[in-house]
Amino acid sequence: MNVTHDTAQKTTTLHAIGRLDFEAAGGFQKDLEASVSSAAAAGNAVLIDCSALEYVSSAGLRVFLVGARAAKAASVPFAVYALTASVKEVFDVSGFGRIIDVLADRAGALEKVGRGA
Amino acid sequence: MKTARTDVGADAAALAPLQSFLCQFWSDAGLPDAERFPFELALEEVFMNVVMHGSTGLSDVRVQVTLNADDHRQVEMVIRDGGNLFDPLHAPVPDTDAPIEERTVGGLGIHLVITLMDEVRYSADDGHNCLTVRKHLAA
Repeated sequence: MNVTHDTAQKTTTLHAIGRLDFEAAGGFQKDLEASVSSAAAAGNAVLIDCSALEYVSSAGLRVFLVGARAAKAASVPFAVYALTASVKEVFDVSGFGRIIDVLADRAGALEKVGRGA
Repeated sequence: MKTARTDVGADAAALAPLQSFLCQFWSDAGLPDAERFPFELALEEVFMNVVMHGSTGLSDVRVQVTLNADDHRQVEMVIRDGGNLFDPLHAPVPDTDAPIEERTVGGLGIHLVITLMDEVRYSADDGHNCLTVRKHLAA
């Protein structure tokens, strides 16, 4: 799994690329926690772009949960967007859509975290 | 009809080779890539459960994975391990409605597997855990 970052419009975006399996989960968790904590200091929101995320297991879901919790605790607006079919299925079955804001696209996600045009 | 079998130690380092084994089988059997996901997920969830919990207090636990595809796109995967006997189908079902503060992913893996597969069976066979997952792929 690869993650690239960009910051614009008071929003830090993590682009998650590849497979978020057990092996990748630890590194992604560190990355996401660091991003949430810098975003909190800068007053930014955090988004995860899942358009190139092909796979997620329960170990990967745990990272989304940890990230969403850290964001909530730090009052950082947080959302994920553009889930691929497999990842969406996992979110749906797990009921993660009820605890994390999941949007169809970037525009919707920006609006959700209060950065809409 | 196509069959393949592999055998690995219960070590997280074997997850990537196991996934490669599944991918190779999938392409050899001419199955559609878009339908591989539930099997990849089941393989990781069940295997990592053996690594994290099933091998506690034991050494040299082996895990054997057997894949079968018939001519009607019926795919079956059998994961047999020599770890501690544990029937995951009788584990508590996670509360997928709990608020964020109370959520855990404990038990979520097997819940995903049960939901995404047509059939999941467990048996304790000669002192081994034997989990069979089966799905009829869309035409």
